[in-house]
Amino acid sequence: MTTLTELGTLDVLEAEAVHVIRECAAECERPALLFSGGKDSIVLAHLAIKAFAPAGLPFPLMHVDTGHNFPEVIEYRDRYVADIDERLIVASVQDSIDQGRVQDEVGPRSSRNRLQTTTLLDAIAEHRFDACFGGARRDEERSRAKERFFSHRDAFGQWDPRNQRPEPWTIYNTKLRAGEHFRVFPLSNWTEIDIWAYIEQEGLRLPSIYFSHEREIFERDGMLLAAVEEVERYPHETVRVETVRFRTVGDMSCTGSILSTAATVAEVLQETRDSDISERGASRADDKTSEAAMEDRKRNGYF
Amino acid sequence: MSVETPMLHVVAVGSVDDGKSTLIGRLLHDTGHLTTDQIEAVAEASRKRGRKGIDLALLTDGLRAEREQGITIDVAYRSFDANGRRILLGDAPGHVQYTRNMVTAAAGADAAILLVDAKNGTTAQTRRHLAICGMLGVRDVIACVNKIDLVDYDEARFHEIAAELVQSSAAIDGPRITAIPLSALNGVNLTVRSPETPWYEGPTVLDVLHDLDPPVVETAFRMPVQWVVRHDDGERDIRGLAGRIDSGAVTVGDDIVALPSGATSRIARVDVLGDERESATAPLSVTLHLETDIDVSRGDVIALASAPPQVASRLRATVAWLDEQPLTVPARLEARQGARTVPVIVEELHERLELDTMEHIPADVLETNDLGIITLRAAQPMVLEPYGENRAMGSMVLIDPATNRTVAAVMVDQVLAEA
Repeated sequence: MTTLTELGTLDVLEAEAVHVIRECAAECERPALLFSGGKDSIVLAHLAIKAFAPAGLPFPLMHVDTGHNFPEVIEYRDRYVADIDERLIVASVQDSIDQGRVQDEVGPRSSRNRLQTTTLLDAIAEHRFDACFGGARRDEERSRAKERFFSHRDAFGQWDPRNQRPEPWTIYNTKLRAGEHFRVFPLSNWTEIDIWAYIEQEGLRLPSIYFSHEREIFERDGMLLAAVEEVERYPHETVRVETVRFRTVGDMSCTGSILSTAATVAEVLQETRDSDISERGASRADDKTSEAAMEDRKRNGYF
Repeated sequence: MSVETPMLHVVAVGSVDDGKSTLIGRLLHDTGHLTTDQIEAVAEASRKRGRKGIDLALLTDGLRAEREQGITIDVAYRSFDANGRRILLGDAPGHVQYTRNMVTAAAGADAAILLVDAKNGTTAQTRRHLAICGMLGVRDVIACVNKIDLVDYDEARFHEIAAELVQSSAAIDGPRITAIPLSALNGVNLTVRSPETPWYEGPTVLDVLHDLDPPVVETAFRMPVQWVVRHDDGERDIRGLAGRIDSGAVTVGDDIVALPSGATSRIARVDVLGDERESATAPLSVTLHLETDIDVSRGDVIALASAPPQVASRLRATVAWLDEQPLTVPARLEARQGARTVPVIVEELHERLELDTMEHIPADVLETNDLGIITLRAAQPMVLEPYGENRAMGSMVLIDPATNRTVAAVMVDQVLAEA
């Protein structure tokens, strides 16, 4: 047994996240935890497990699989779920395409990122989920900085940022009408550095692409994209091999890598502290299409 | 027992156009919290709007409608590290129309940065925000007399406004005021003392943030039960009470009482998310195990048997009305407090607070953004304390079951005996 020690920032953030997770599990009928195999969702799942231990999770994990995910991440996902012995639901964008729910984009600039929204909303309706935990953080993007812990979505999955429910103190209004749902963000107040520091503290394992490795890449709009079959290249886009790692995990078509030799959690933590570029600035092409790209996607039901 | 919490909640408030978003943007910029690509994005957004130089307000005004109108509609939160401590900075809207979002941002804040335009001086909205901060128990207010460059760094003007603010706060027994002459736009006295104000020898905004006292943590142990963890590991049936400690600390061997039932037991184990400890303190999330099996479920409050809160179903409270639909009595609503939701009736509306003058005016209706004094009756006993004694036990929100909207934030002034 240990005695009372002085608390650190991570202790407070952890306690806050667990409080939100327990509130949602207690108040909502059918929650699910959105799990991508990315570092934020790994931290989120870890916190959820801690919140209910030694009992198991009172809700399943759900992955919206674009079919264009990094194979290392899918492999990680399946091993992780087997290790924690919990239920995973996979909602597939490819299925949505095959069923004619969405049209696959074509050409070098195509991405399945946008298509995920339909697959996600269909899965929420199919499983009658009334709350989805997400690993989004307020420091990621300025429209995310505006989001509540319990973010209300109407029957169309839409976010109305001008009409959010007040959340004074830490009291959450968890009332819903049929068909509506919440996106719940327990990691709202964490920063990218907090996430890495917590991964180090808890000894969490991550997909290998977060650490430096040699990879065939090509450059587009200043981003280093993976040279893979699923991402079509223009003739002038030449492939070269670089030592890189990924700061975020998303669809291969819009997730850029950074040049890095950081091979351990401690090295990544140091590199993140020293970095002069934000996480999304370094690796997300989908936010660069317009000034309000994220806000617009979120209004329509995106993560 | 007091433990220093390594996180402070600070909210920026004041009238519209007094420069809150600019101050936060500039503060993050001048302390190296912005990355190159974030600065570039703000520069690009500024050019698009024909602004000269970089308009750092565009950093926290994260919604399209906010950037279009140049105003803040809802709170934006930014993390900020100062002196080894995490500060969560909320950028609150200044418009009267969005006062409810300001209340949300200020509830739970330890300190506020209150901006006042040096040219316009204090406005009704400035005094309103100061009064709301006072009511919510915000302890420190950093009063920034902003745009001091537009009054030629006039020392007399600064002292005039500072004196007004100190007086307004004293009149309502409000927060401590530290006044600073400032130009958020030019970074005057924000992170470094400026040569433009040689007559000012006080701290910069950053100095004050560095030196803020740690948050007040009430000493009486209170923990609302959020979830009962049940697990049969083959040898024994484990039953743990999961929740977040709202105030005080709990130690193995403590005699506790579960409220409102009044059942008593003793703490057998304190589990801090998998780490078994001798004791734990607010604001940690824990799972408590008792020596005996007593009837405890979600919504109950665990407290030390020697110093329990009150159990009652009537209370007098200060209410901030947030909804567009006005309050008239009697109103049938639901109160959400701790981990419990209880049907309530607003029995009486005593008066409305004129925040500008702090006058109490008899009223029979509360409109959006009004503050008033009410009497509330609950359908079931609630675990209550005056807000001034315990924030968690003294705060609640009201929800209209017809619309599911959060219609009010409530601070308990007095726990009443049955009528």
